[in-house]
Parts: sequence; C-alpha cells; structure tokens
Amino acid sequence: MNDTMIEVTGVGKTFDDVTALDDVSLTVPRGTVLGLLGHNGAGKTTLVNVLTTMLPPTTGSARVAGFDVVGQAHEVRGRIGLTGQFAAVDEGLSGTDNLVLIARLLGASRREAKARADELLDVFDLADAAGRLARTYSGGMRRRLDLAASLVGRPDVIFLDEPTTGLDPVSRIGLWEVVENLVGDGTTVLLTTQYLDEADRLADAITVLADGRIVASGTAAELKAQVGRRAVHVTLAAATDAPAAMTSLELAGLQPVHDEPHNAVSTPVHASADLAVVVRALDDAGVEVAELALTEPSLDDVYLALAKQKIAA
Amino acid sequence: MTTTIHNRWQGTTFGNQVGILAGRSLRALISDPKLMIFSVLQPLIMLLLFSQVFSGIAGTGNFPPGVSYIDYLMPAILVTTGVGAALQSGIGLVTDMKNGVLGRLRSLPINPSSVLVARSVADLIRTALQLVILLVAAVVLFGFSPAGGVLGVLPAFLLALAVSWSLSWVFLAIGAWLRNAETMQSVGFLAMFPLMFASSAFVPIDGLPAWLRVIATINPLTYAVDASRNLSLAMPVGSGVAGALLASTGLLVVGLVAAVRGFRRPLAV
Repeated sequence: MNDTMIEVTGVGKTFDDVTALDDVSLTVPRGTVLGLLGHNGAGKTTLVNVLTTMLPPTTGSARVAGFDVVGQAHEVRGRIGLTGQFAAVDEGLSGTDNLVLIARLLGASRREAKARADELLDVFDLADAAGRLARTYSGGMRRRLDLAASLVGRPDVIFLDEPTTGLDPVSRIGLWEVVENLVGDGTTVLLTTQYLDEADRLADAITVLADGRIVASGTAAELKAQVGRRAVHVTLAAATDAPAAMTSLELAGLQPVHDEPHNAVSTPVHASADLAVVVRALDDAGVEVAELALTEPSLDDVYLALAKQKIAA
Repeated sequence: MTTTIHNRWQGTTFGNQVGILAGRSLRALISDPKLMIFSVLQPLIMLLLFSQVFSGIAGTGNFPPGVSYIDYLMPAILVTTGVGAALQSGIGLVTDMKNGVLGRLRSLPINPSSVLVARSVADLIRTALQLVILLVAAVVLFGFSPAGGVLGVLPAFLLALAVSWSLSWVFLAIGAWLRNAETMQSVGFLAMFPLMFASSAFVPIDGLPAWLRVIATINPLTYAVDASRNLSLAMPVGSGVAGALLASTGLLVVGLVAAVRGFRRPLAV
C-alpha cells in the first residue's frame, strides 16, 4: 500500500515570463496535514491548482492519491476535495441543494445524495439553515458550506486554500476544529495559509514558499528554532527605570534592546526558562514591570530571517 | 482500490451530468422568479414602445397591406428576444466562472463539456418559457392575432428558438474565451443593436435609407425575422426558413466547437 498521498517532484510553472513555481518537491504522508505557508504571490495557489488538476505543470510531475495529476486527472478528481479562497457555493441554491448537486454529479442516487447532504449540514452546524438560499448565508456559513461541498465525496485528500482568510476569529476557530476532526478520520490535508498560528495549530509539517520556491520545511517547532527566536517584551511602569532594567538584563547575560517610544525593553530568549531569568533580574534591580510578554516569531520574522539567509548565502 | 472504508460513488453518465446541471440552472429560475419576470419585461416594453412609435407606418407604401403593426412586429420581437437570451447564456457562463461555482464543478470527476451543454439546454428551456409568456402577453395585452394563426405562430416560435439556441453557442464560445462579464456585455451590446435595427425587424427594408438597406440585406437576422414573420402572417415563406436554419446550424457547429475548446483551457491563472 502506498502511504504517500501527495508527491510533488520538481514542479515548475511559468506563465509567459513569470515563474510562479520553481522546482518544488514535497511529499505528504497519508492522514497528515501539510501547511503551505507563504505571502500573497508566493505560489501557494498555483501549487494547489497544479495538484487539483486545474493547471498542468510546466516542468516536473505530481501524484495525488497515487495518480498522476496530468495523465490521470479524472482519477485524481475523484479522490480530492477543494476549498478555495472564495466560497464557491451556488448562491441561487439552498444549502441542501448545493450539496445534493455535488453528490448527484459524483454518482449518488437521489436518496443517498440527500442523506449525505443532511449528514454534512449537521456536522457543519448548518442544519437550521439547510433550506435557505446560500445567498442569505453569512461569510462563515458560506465557508462551512463550501468546505462541506468539498467533502461530499469522502475524498482521500483535501486541499484548503487559505480557508480562513477573511473570517472572523470565532468562525476561524470553528473551521480549525472541523479540520482537526477530518484529520482524525484519516483524511490527508494540504492547507495553505498566510498565518503562522494557523499552520502551527493544524499542520504536522510546514513548508514555506517564497517567490515560487521552497525556502524552508519542517515541523513548526523546527522552523521557529531555525528562523526566529522568542523574545520577552517588558513594558516598564516608570520611564526612569530604563537604564536600571537594561543594566540588570545585560548582567544576566541577555542582549536587551531599549524600545524608547513604548517605554519598554525587549530581549531575545532561547528557552522558556529564560523568562524566569528576566523576571528575577528585574526584580533584583527593583524595576517595576507594567506588562511582560513572551512573543513567538511571526511569519514576518520567518520571512525576514529566511530572506537574510538567502542574501548571506 | 484504496483502503477507504466507504464505497466510492462511481460517477455518472454524461447525460445524467447534463440533466443534473441543467436542473440546477432551472431551479435557480424557480427560486428566483424575478429573473424570468425581468427577462420578459424588457421585450414587453419594446413591444409597447415600438407599437406606439411605429404604428403609423402600417398601411403606408412599403408596408404589407392589411397587416396591423403589432402583427408585423411581434414575430420579429420573438427573434430579437431569442438573440438577447443567447447573449444572457454567455454572460451566465462567465458569471459562474467568476463566482467559483465552475471551479468547484471542474474539480469534480465529470466531463467539463457537460457544464456547457447543461447551460445551453437550460437556457433553451428558459428561452422557450420566456417566448411563450411573451406570446401570451402579446395576444392578451396588444391584440396580437396574425393571419397565420396558431399553426403559423408555432413554427415561427420554433424558428426563433432554433436561432436563439445556435447563437447561444456563439456567445458561450465568446464567454469561454473572454471570461469577463463586462466585456461580454459590451460585445453583446455592440453586436446586438446594429443587428436589430439594421434589419427588417421594425420597419420594412424598402423603407430604410439606401446604405442601411445594404446592411439589412446582408444581416442574417433579417432572414430569421422575415421567415418568422412570413410564417406568422401566412405569407409565402420561400427559402427563408431553410436559409435561417442553415445559417443557424453553421453558427451552432462553429460555436459549439469553439466553446468546448475555449472551456477546456485552464480556469485558474
């Protein structure tokens, strides 16, 4: 049995003169989530389009669920689900009819289609709105219906292209939970996102794309360790304490930076234990702390760090 | 097969795909009857305006004697409404491309052409319904009662439908290649108005200025309108119907091939 559900080998894609993807290779084992991280224009959607048979690659090859995305596109389409950046629901149809339509096209009988639609509407908390036209749905409801539509055929692999972009925080967390449940059922997921926290929460492995190239890959922890460091930000109660705070942190072996406009000092730390070092040093120096925060590297930090590495190399 | 515990649905035939997708388009028509009302309202307003503005030309030199203007006009309105409906077909396709519905359909294991054929079939049914409502309204509101009677109007109606259907493939082809609703509207507008007015649709060709008469004579719409009118008015049809059907078949074949080819190009860029 083949346990690699997505296998990308040296895929490149050019549009006229623009290189959208350049020698991209990756594999996704069955039942795992790959987070594809990158800014707008990094090539995330192009890669999703290649893997979902929407676009043929210019170079290289890709297999999804064991089938070639070019030569066996029909077989691939029978085993994948796709949720794009914009909810692709038919506004003129009810929630139920949207799902029934997909199920019928996949070959379900009327009765099977209705049963599957009801089941999914239930899972996605849309049962109350099942009979309403999708036009009347909120943004979050549309996304959920869209995701439900991509799951009608019980796909082996689902592609989520920025599934939470534009969603409010509550809908966002709701969608995360749905994805987590899916993976629990053994579905393989490729998720693209601009948000590190989203990839962090959902993905088993993360691949960072920039300008169509893979610039880093690994687990969230590996990536953070590789590209950025945590930092402690201390907001001082009194501005006059700044010199004392700086001195005490330097004596503790840290490299603090004075953030004068915000009346704060911040210092990179290696481990959570360093947080205690910061607190003790400031306490010993008699510095009163208004606020203290441990910040994780953001996607921007990741990007900046990777860009620096590229320039250095 | 793979290790999935569920039975995978095995897909369905091309015919079923077309039926299911056409049903989807028609369902939108039922759930949103406003669309149908507006699509009938426009030709009705044209009927009202033209029958008032041009009614004076009935009985003048170039006009067929003994024919009321509404009886003269209505068969042409059937054809021009069908042409307008054909344009809507192309615009509908582009709209589906934009709102992502087509993207979803194309990610399914179905024949992409079924999407086109379904739209065309659904639009044919919609146009037929539109023309029937229009005919009933013309009889009831404007006293349309051509000499040919039902047996004359029925073939005129079918002819208008055939012209509309073949043109819808031309607009589907344009839509499949252009992929932009605004451009579609402009192209349609630019093509439609000269075709409609530089034709025999509203006044007899002989009454047109010479330069316009030349255009009207080579305008294929003139032949469709003449055929539809002669059928309705029980006047000699000659080779008109055969000509209109032949031209329609030509457009249908060209449009169909171009539409399928254009539609197969990747959606996403």
